[in-house]
Amino acid sequence: MILEPLPPRILSVRRIPNADPALLLAYGADPARHRSLGLVTVDQDDPTYVALDEATKHANVDVVFAKSFYAGASHGSGPLSGEILGVLAGSDPDEIDAGLKALVRCLEADACFYSADEAQKTAVFPHVISSLGHYLSALAGLAPGDSMAYLVAPPMEATIGIDMALKAADVRAAKIFPPPTETNFAAAWLTGSLESCEAAAVAFCEAVVRVAANPKGEIWGG
Amino acid sequence: MSRTRHLVAELRERLGGAAPVPPPAPLPRIPEPPVRVFPKRAEGSRYARETAAHTTALLGIGHVGTRYATDVVLQFQAELAVAHEAVHTDLPDDWAAKNGLVGLRSRVKDHREFLLRPDLGRRLDDMSLARLKMEAKHGVDVQSILADGLSAVACMQSGLALLASFTAACQARGLSVGTPVVARYARVWLEDEIGAAVGAKVSAILLGERPGLGTGDGLSAYLVYDPKVGRTDGDRNMMSNIHARGTTPEVAGDRLAVLARAMVDQKRSGVDLDLSKLTAELGDAASRAHRAPQVRVRLVEVEK
Repeated sequence: MILEPLPPRILSVRRIPNADPALLLAYGADPARHRSLGLVTVDQDDPTYVALDEATKHANVDVVFAKSFYAGASHGSGPLSGEILGVLAGSDPDEIDAGLKALVRCLEADACFYSADEAQKTAVFPHVISSLGHYLSALAGLAPGDSMAYLVAPPMEATIGIDMALKAADVRAAKIFPPPTETNFAAAWLTGSLESCEAAAVAFCEAVVRVAANPKGEIWGG
Repeated sequence: MSRTRHLVAELRERLGGAAPVPPPAPLPRIPEPPVRVFPKRAEGSRYARETAAHTTALLGIGHVGTRYATDVVLQFQAELAVAHEAVHTDLPDDWAAKNGLVGLRSRVKDHREFLLRPDLGRRLDDMSLARLKMEAKHGVDVQSILADGLSAVACMQSGLALLASFTAACQARGLSVGTPVVARYARVWLEDEIGAAVGAKVSAILLGERPGLGTGDGLSAYLVYDPKVGRTDGDRNMMSNIHARGTTPEVAGDRLAVLARAMVDQKRSGVDLDLSKLTAELGDAASRAHRAPQVRVRLVEVEK
């Protein structure tokens, strides 16, 4: 069955209530404002970026560090490594807890990859963020509260899909990530009205499914 | 549910992902017609031919190969259509007024409810009950009620003729007849409440009967002595198949008046009513001799 959710697995969630200033500095936090850290590893990176951003909307926390690991979750350095380490920083452990709760909720109920083919070998992430938090908005050069379509797929599928998405709706590209990224996917952040972002995400997703089903197109297909 | 999950689920439906349809299997090659022509064969059995002469049932209709002949199938479908049409016809709101009768209605609100809720069709709605008590004559011998029943077509076609002949025949037998009323969305048992409301000795409802194949225009009449809510079918005498090809309204009106007279005389109706002395007046309805079957109306023309 196509377009089944592939739920992300949270591999570890930990909290450092009173982190050492050297560690805070190394992970990009500001010891003057931040004291506590919340850490999470997940086997899907892009849903985690979305969930980290979601956390900034529910608690007074900053995403100080979030990086994908090379070649993805199948090649992790350990059983808890997954595909990404995300770090929230806040003034006290309560803020961290509130942020982590929002993050977990988002990963469990909202952001996830979907299978784009019957064999479930192709993964697609056609996510719509109706209202950006201050983490992703800063990365994308947009304002908090803007809508954004967060689109990810393997290189070929994504390239065709991004083109379709840009043509299907009144959206513009905030950022396009050509392959290879750390996980060897390709991605794009498109922005516009919420309806346009939704239309773009659906068009992207459909294009990915069609490319996966017919990789060589009409000319060489058969 | 999250918005994105909802969008993706919708897309999956649109792409047929929830239940992917396998590509259709190629059609088998259809041989060039005619493969084999089956001549229509008349029914060979003498017994079937003989039986068919005594009934309108589909007996002795022959066959073509393993199937019915086309004209038989078409005739069947046409007769079924006549029945459907009759069931689904509504008695117009102003029909009673146009024909100078008092219009009543049961507690049913619309035609669909009428078909689904026989219980509501057996009771008058409050406005009709008030109107009946105000406008109708009280304390009469016979209260006749014309009603749509399951075939408004029959009610509109021969209902008035039956009502007229029944009324005349009653009066000729010295029975006083009440104000004729028309009831809409009516079931048989509605006569109990109407008859009780006007204090009639006999309540008679003349209504369209459940259509059968090809007969959408049949009326039935149900008579009950001392009508009151709670009477059962064992308390009633009835007559069915009142239409041009069955018992004609003129003949039926006469026979019903005989029944009404007997009820008033014997002060009872239904299974208790003694009809043994009325065979002369009821004519062949009381006899057990052979009767010619009803004529089947040909709705399909056959090219000879």
